[in-house]
Amino acid sequence: MDSSVHLDNVVMNFGDFTAVQKTDLKIESGEFFSFLGPSGCGKTTILNMISGFLEPSKGVVKIGGKSMAGVPANKRPTSMIFQNLALFPLMTVAENIEFGLEVRGVSKAERKKTSDRLLELVALEGSGSKKPDELSGGQKQRIAIARALAVEPQVLLLDEPLSALDLKLRQHMRTELKEIQRKTGITFIYITHDQGEALTMSDRVAVMSAGKLQQVADPITLYREPQTSFVASFVGENNPITGVVDAIDGNLVTLNCGVLGKFTGRGIGTISKGQSATLFIRPELLKLGQTGDMSFTARIAEVNFEGSYLTLTALLNQQHAISVQIGAEQYTADLIPDAEIQLSFASQDAVVIAGEGNV
Amino acid sequence: MFKQLKARFGSSLSVGIIAIIGIWLIGMVILPQLIMVDYSFRPNLLPSEIGTDKDTYSLNNYETLFGNSIHLSIFAKTIWSSVLVTILTLVVSYPLAFYLAKVATPGQAALCILLLIIPFWINEILRTFSWYIILAYKGPLNALLLALGLIDRPVRFLSGDGGVMVGMVYAYILFMIFPIYNAIESLDSNQVKAARNLGAGWIRTHYRVIIPHAKPGIATGCIMTFMLAAGSYAVPALLGSPGSRWFTQIIYNWFFEGGDWNQGAAYAFLLLLICIGFIALVMRVFKVGLGDIAR
Amino acid sequence: MKSETIMRWGIRFYIGIFFIYLFIPLIIMGAATFNNSRFPTITPWKGATLKWFDALAQDGAMWTALWTSLVVAMGVLLVAVPIGICCALFLSTVQGRGKTFLYSLMMSPLLTPGVIVGISTLIFWKSLSVSGGIMLTVIAQTTFIAAYVMLMVLARLQRFDRTLENAALSLGASQWQTFTRVLLPYLKPAIISACAIAFLQSFENYNTTLFVKGYDTTLTVYIASKVRTGLTPAVNALGLIMISVTVLIAILYEWKRRQEAKRTVSSVQ
Repeated sequence: MDSSVHLDNVVMNFGDFTAVQKTDLKIESGEFFSFLGPSGCGKTTILNMISGFLEPSKGVVKIGGKSMAGVPANKRPTSMIFQNLALFPLMTVAENIEFGLEVRGVSKAERKKTSDRLLELVALEGSGSKKPDELSGGQKQRIAIARALAVEPQVLLLDEPLSALDLKLRQHMRTELKEIQRKTGITFIYITHDQGEALTMSDRVAVMSAGKLQQVADPITLYREPQTSFVASFVGENNPITGVVDAIDGNLVTLNCGVLGKFTGRGIGTISKGQSATLFIRPELLKLGQTGDMSFTARIAEVNFEGSYLTLTALLNQQHAISVQIGAEQYTADLIPDAEIQLSFASQDAVVIAGEGNV
Repeated sequence: MFKQLKARFGSSLSVGIIAIIGIWLIGMVILPQLIMVDYSFRPNLLPSEIGTDKDTYSLNNYETLFGNSIHLSIFAKTIWSSVLVTILTLVVSYPLAFYLAKVATPGQAALCILLLIIPFWINEILRTFSWYIILAYKGPLNALLLALGLIDRPVRFLSGDGGVMVGMVYAYILFMIFPIYNAIESLDSNQVKAARNLGAGWIRTHYRVIIPHAKPGIATGCIMTFMLAAGSYAVPALLGSPGSRWFTQIIYNWFFEGGDWNQGAAYAFLLLLICIGFIALVMRVFKVGLGDIAR
Repeated sequence: MKSETIMRWGIRFYIGIFFIYLFIPLIIMGAATFNNSRFPTITPWKGATLKWFDALAQDGAMWTALWTSLVVAMGVLLVAVPIGICCALFLSTVQGRGKTFLYSLMMSPLLTPGVIVGISTLIFWKSLSVSGGIMLTVIAQTTFIAAYVMLMVLARLQRFDRTLENAALSLGASQWQTFTRVLLPYLKPAIISACAIAFLQSFENYNTTLFVKGYDTTLTVYIASKVRTGLTPAVNALGLIMISVTVLIAILYEWKRRQEAKRTVSSVQ
């Protein structure tokens, strides 16, 4: 069955405020797709347009190729998992799960079969007669998933459902969600501001900022090939260095960063000589010593031991802080504050994006 | 507004909601009041005379009151006594509301509130009747005072306004205590401690910190008490004597003894105006809005 | 510290006096029932008797009045509670201009003296050629009791999590199903309380009823008329029974409410 979701040139305005700028995006059938962005970026608005709680100001939402214009939330082949889960507190767990079938007039025996099967899927057999309040946070989470799956939606919408859980449980639930998605083959559309969640679970991620899609790509591409300064600094850690374009040689762009020196990296998009641009280099791609073609010296300001790796904060020319991540095995006794170190990176590992890099 | 309602409840339920509210507001709240006011400006006519030349608007019904010195003095007394009842009730209620909200432990407060609620559930007539027994000429209060030697012969408590006012304070005290209690309870106890810590005495702490915070509650309590007192028929009827009539009793007489409803409507409208005026005055004095009242 | 101690004892003394003031009248009234005297009093005490309960049971007019009161209270319950619920639903849903005005209008019957509610209802319906009686009593009492119901239901609605409604819609429920399966069950405790309050308010109403009762007499009106004419301790017997019943209901209601509150607290934790 085609359960793709197409945002066909969708715009959402609230009065004068544009919550979502013109967006054209196709989410494939059976895909685990995430919208990632800070709060207020418009991602929840997109989810509400897909679920039918909001009608777009312009454009249409298509599910399975069919236009959803004028179709209310309760008639769409979607179901939603809410941030606060929104389990019905006065109903038992089984009644919660069966609710969607009950309102469709499915027989009691049939409903019972479904709720038993789903309770098994989420590993909570025998909890059907409990009230939601008697369950732990993780268990409630799974009931919310089971309830949403009971109506056999083509598309499952998840609105930051893990944000209320503690760290350990959150990481565990990521694996479980991914597993459930694989088993059911339903299209999952996931909203989060937590990049860890988006990167670990998703087939593709759309990064959003200020109502605008910044980049849509699989997690690895997003991490390695950020297309905008926003993506470069929002996804993962990154060290920005801003300068003026000095030279362009094939895909390599050299920036003159004044007192900090000159740095070269891969240019992204259109960049012309003389304009200001920012080079981004990831902490783990900076090496101690002179292994890469870009090398410079810096003074250590801080050393933080984090278990399998170390984070060094180093000052370039006494002023520009740079974060460096090295394996714990590379630790030596002379890595102490105020020590002078040699750092380098391969210019192919750094990216240069037009603009000041402020986000 | 209908759009918001429809988005939540669907069109048929929304139409039902609007229709029911409309019937209530128009048919029971607004129209009866308007018709009453309209009535008060018309003369009292025989059914056959309605619609004829005699059926004209005039201020005659209002002039009757201002021309009748007995009615006028009862009107003034009712207002004045209701203000006194309100002040008396406030003075009695405030310490108790403060105790419940800030001094008592949660357990004590819960018990006290239960004890307060019980009389509240009991019929106003019965509560007033119990005072009728106590204040009777040969009743227990006179017996007690005689036994203590404080008086030489029984006092006629039920022949003046005093008995009526005591009964009213008793009957309406809970309408004063609960709003004030709710208001004081929402005050952060640390503010009281801070004021005390800064060297403010008890009186100053109440005057500067607690009372300003409790203003909406005090306003609500005063409005309710005044309205209930000025509009009470039961208490003066039971505890009063012919010499201490209440304005509501005059209104009643116009309707069911004098048979002049138009005249009665004018008196009733004046009573309503006094209550509205009192509400406006209290809201101005306490600087609270209608939204703060009766939360 | 010294003044604080005095304050503390002072306030305790005050509370003591206050509760005596609150309960003594009711106790005296109850006690007078059992006094073998022709008038309701405890002084002088003429020996204990139960004959006034008998006298009460023989009083046919009292039984008629009780029946009238019950009919009126049920009528008010059936009319005022739906109106109050509708108002609360309306106020919790709509936003924007005019809402404050409508709220004030809905509150106004509570700030209007009861006699005026009665008078205006009487006059209004007379112009439609309807005169006083059970029906007008129900209508007049509904005018202000609906506002009480509105306040009680609104208080609970304000704590309602509206994502629950979205969850139901998202699972395919119609708006009607969402209302009956999600919102109404949530409001049930408030609606039950509102029913109890509406019933009681109607049952004990005097000021409004007096004007619209016509030739029908409710129990409260009957008691009042007895106090003024033909007073015997049978009235006390009736009062004692009514007090006992209301106290029982009040305690039951409070107890249930606290159980509910306890359950909510424990489930939050």
